[in-house]
Amino acid sequence: MAHSHKHDTPVETGPSSKLISLVAQFDDPHSLVAACDRAREAGYKKMDAYSPFPVHGIDDAIGIRRTRLPFFVLAVGLGACAFALLLQYYVNATDESPIFPGYKFFISGKPLFSLPANIPVTFEIIVLSSAFATFFGMWYLNGLPRFANPLHRLPMFRRVTNDKFFLVLEAEDEKFSESRSRQQLEEWGAKAIEECHEDLTDQKIPNGFRLAGIVFLFALLLPPALIYRVSGMTYRQPRLHVVPDMDWQDRYNTQTRGPNIGTPESPRYLFADGRAMQRPVSGTIARGDLTESDEYFRGYKTGTLPVSEGAGPSAQDQDGQDQDGMATGTTPEPEWVDGFPEEVVVNTDFLKRGKQRFEIYCVACHGYDGNGEGLVNQRAVALAAAGEAAWTAAKSLHDPAVKAQPIGRIFDTISNGRATMGPYKDQIPVKDRWAITAYVRALQATGIRTPQELAEANSATPEAGQ
Amino acid sequence: MHARRPGKITSPIVSLSTSYVKLVPLGLVIGAIGLGLAYFMSLPQGGLKRFSYSYLVTYCSLLSMSLGCLFFVTVQHLTRAGWSVTVRRIAEIFAMCLIPMFVLFLPILLPVLMQRDDVYQWVNAGWLAGDREMFREIKNAYLNPSWFGIRIVAYFVIWGMMAYSFFGKSLKQDKTADPTLSRTMQKSATWKMIIFAATLVFASFDMEMSLSPRWFSTMFPVYFFAGGVMSAMAAIILTAALLQRSGRVTDEITVEHYHDLAKLTFGFIFFWGYIAFSQFMLIWYANLPEETFWYRFRMGDSASPGWIFWSLLLLFGHLLIPFLAMMARTVRRNKTYLLFATIFILCMHWVDHFWIIMPQLNIEMGATDVLGGDPANNPLPFSWLIDVPCAIGMVGIYVALFSGIAADRPLVPLHDPRLEESLNYRNA
Repeated sequence: MAHSHKHDTPVETGPSSKLISLVAQFDDPHSLVAACDRAREAGYKKMDAYSPFPVHGIDDAIGIRRTRLPFFVLAVGLGACAFALLLQYYVNATDESPIFPGYKFFISGKPLFSLPANIPVTFEIIVLSSAFATFFGMWYLNGLPRFANPLHRLPMFRRVTNDKFFLVLEAEDEKFSESRSRQQLEEWGAKAIEECHEDLTDQKIPNGFRLAGIVFLFALLLPPALIYRVSGMTYRQPRLHVVPDMDWQDRYNTQTRGPNIGTPESPRYLFADGRAMQRPVSGTIARGDLTESDEYFRGYKTGTLPVSEGAGPSAQDQDGQDQDGMATGTTPEPEWVDGFPEEVVVNTDFLKRGKQRFEIYCVACHGYDGNGEGLVNQRAVALAAAGEAAWTAAKSLHDPAVKAQPIGRIFDTISNGRATMGPYKDQIPVKDRWAITAYVRALQATGIRTPQELAEANSATPEAGQ
Repeated sequence: MHARRPGKITSPIVSLSTSYVKLVPLGLVIGAIGLGLAYFMSLPQGGLKRFSYSYLVTYCSLLSMSLGCLFFVTVQHLTRAGWSVTVRRIAEIFAMCLIPMFVLFLPILLPVLMQRDDVYQWVNAGWLAGDREMFREIKNAYLNPSWFGIRIVAYFVIWGMMAYSFFGKSLKQDKTADPTLSRTMQKSATWKMIIFAATLVFASFDMEMSLSPRWFSTMFPVYFFAGGVMSAMAAIILTAALLQRSGRVTDEITVEHYHDLAKLTFGFIFFWGYIAFSQFMLIWYANLPEETFWYRFRMGDSASPGWIFWSLLLLFGHLLIPFLAMMARTVRRNKTYLLFATIFILCMHWVDHFWIIMPQLNIEMGATDVLGGDPANNPLPFSWLIDVPCAIGMVGIYVALFSGIAADRPLVPLHDPRLEESLNYRNA
C-alpha cells in the first residue's frame, strides 16, 4: 500500500464512485473492542475490525461466529490417515493393480503389512495434510489471495500495521446510512472517520502476469521430463563421488600389508609377518565355528567319509555329476544319516520355520509346492530352449529319485549344492537348513505335484497355504 | 464490552476453611482400611512382595502426578504466565505433597536398605550371577541399596525444597503483596527446571525401570514425565471443579481456565501416546532380545497372556478415546463433562503404572522362564481385593495430605501481580 501508484489519485476513487464503507480510527485496542460491542448492539452485521496485533475478545465483540476450520481439518486429517494406510498397503502388500504394480517383496521374512511400522509414515502424512488444510483452509475462508483492497488506498489506514486500530462499517449493511453511521462512530469514540469508495481502476490482470504464469506452468513440466529422459539411460562417465572419503576409505583390508611404522626406506610393520589382519591363534576355534558333529553339520555318519580325495562331498561340485545333477557312481559317497540328528527336534514350530525359510530361499527355483516350477526356473528353461543360456532344470522334489534320497543327502544338497544349484551353507544357518530339510520331507509326504493339486489342498486345509 | 474485573478476590470462601478438620481424619481412616485390607488379602498370595508391588503402582501414579504439578508451577513462573495465576495454588499444594510422600516411600525403601529383594531384585547382589563381569560391575555400581537410598533421599530433598520455595513465597506474597517475590520465583525457575528434569529422569529409572534391571530405555523418563504431567493437569481440573462445586473459589476460576487446562491435558494425552509409541517402535523394530522381552511379556506372548488386554486398554483408554473425547472446544468448556473425563484419565494413569510395574511381579512370582510356564499357574496379578483397596487407601491418604497442607490457607494467590490478567483472561 505504500507504493505511489499512478492510479492512486482521487480521480478514480473520488466521491463520484460508490461509497462502500466508513472507516473509523481508534487509538487503542480497548476502545476498538468497546466500539465493536456498540456496533454489534446497534444491529450492524457487516463490519470488520483491523488491528496491528491480535486482540483478545474481538471475535465476540464483532459477533463473528466460530470458524468451521477445525471440522475441515479434522476431516482432512482422518482422510489422510486412511490414505496413508491404504497407500502403504498398496505399495507394500499388493502385486497387481490396474495402474502401477506394488512392491510385494518378502524381506527377511518380515510381514508385508505391519501396523507399527506404518504408523510413523501415517502420522507424518496426517500432520502435513492437517497443516496444509489449516493454512489453505484459512486462505479459502478469508477469501484469500486477494490482490487489492480499496481500504489500502486510504492514507489513514496505512497505520493499521503500526499503531492504529480500525472499525469498518460496510455500506451493504441494512442498518447503514452514511450520516447516521458517521454520527454513531463519532459517539463511540472514533478519532477520525474516512469514506472508502469503490475502486474503479482497471481490475484485469496485466498481460505480463499471464505470460509469466504460462511460462511457469510449462516450467513445471521440466522436472518430470528430465526424470523421464534419464530413466533407463546408460552413463559412460564414472559416477559422481559425493563423499570421497567414504568411497575410498583409509583402512587396511584383509590380505594387505599392515601399517608401516618404520620409515619408507627401512619399512617396519606393526605385525611381524607384515599382514594387516592376523590369522587366528593356532589351536583355537572362533566362537560358533566348532563343527565337530558330522551328523549335524554335514549330514553323514561319523567316520563314513570316503578318503578318496581328502575332501568332503562338496568336492563333487567340480565334477563327477551326471545330467540330472546326481552324483555318479564313480564318486564314492559317505553314509548319509536317514533321520534327524539329535540336535534338532522336529515339531510344528520347526516345520513352520522350515516352510518360512523354504519360501525365502528355495521357491524361486523349486516353486512353492516343490515341483520345480519356480519363476526363475521357468524363465531359465525358456532361455535355455531358445539357446540363450545353459541351464539344468531345477529338480521336482516329488521326483521318485529325490524322494528316495536319505535325509542327510537332501541336507547335503542344500548345504553344498548340486549341478546348477549353488551351495547355501554360507547363507542359511545349519539349524535352518535342517528345518528346510524337514519341510522338504513334509512336502514330499503330501505328494503334491501340480499347481491344481496344490490349490485343491489349500482349499481343503487353509493353513497349508501361504 | 465485558467490564474489566479489578484484580481482587471476590469469592465468599477461598480456602477449605474448617472442612480440612474433617477431611484429614477421613482420608487417613480410608487409607488405613484400604491398605490394611490390601495387606491382609496379600498375605496368602505372596505377602509383603505382593502388597509392595500393589502399593508401588498407586504410589508411582501419585508421585508422577505430584511431580507433574511441580513442573506446572515451575513452568508457569518460567514463562511468566499470567493466565494460570488462579489455578497455580492448587498445583503448588499438590507439589507440596511431595514432602510427606517421602515418608510414604519408606515401606519400599526400608526393606531395600535391609537387603530384602521383595520389590527390587537387584538388591540381591547375586542377581547377575552368570553374566559377564564387566556388565555385573557396571550394573551393581549403580544398583545397590545404599546408593539407591542416597539417591532417593536426594530426590525428595530437592523436590521438597523446590515445592516449599514456591509455596512459601506465594503464601508470603498473600500477606505482603510484594511483587518482587514473583520476580525472584521467575528467576529461580530457570535452574530449578534443569534440576527438576535431572532428578525426574533418575527417579523414574530407580523407582520403576529398575524393577526389571536388565531392561533399559532412555525414553522411559520422558514416558514417565508425559503421563505425570497429563495426570497433573487432570488432577488440577478435577480439584478445581470439586472445590467450586462445594462453593469455594467460585469467582476466580473461570471457564477460560478450565479450557486452557483441558487443552494442556489434551496435548499431554497425545504427547504420552507419541512417546509411548516411539519407545515401543524403536524396540519393536530393532528387535534386540535384551530390549524386546519387556514388551513381549506385555503383549501377551508369555506365561500370562492376559497382558495384551492391558496393553490394548492403554492404547484405547489412555490414548485414542481421551484424544477424541478431549478434542472439541465445547467439551473443554463444559465443567460437568470435564469432571467425568478427568476421573477417567486419572484411572487410566493408574492403569499405565499398573502396566509398567505389575508384569514384573508376574515374572518373579510365576515361571522363572519369561516365555515358558503354564498360564493357569501364573494368572494376571490383578485382584479386586488387593489392588483396588490399596489404590483407594493411598488416594485417601493423599487427600488427607492435600487437605492438611491446604488447611485454611487461600486456594488462590491473593496478591499476585498478574492476578488481574488471570481474572480477565479469555481464550481467543
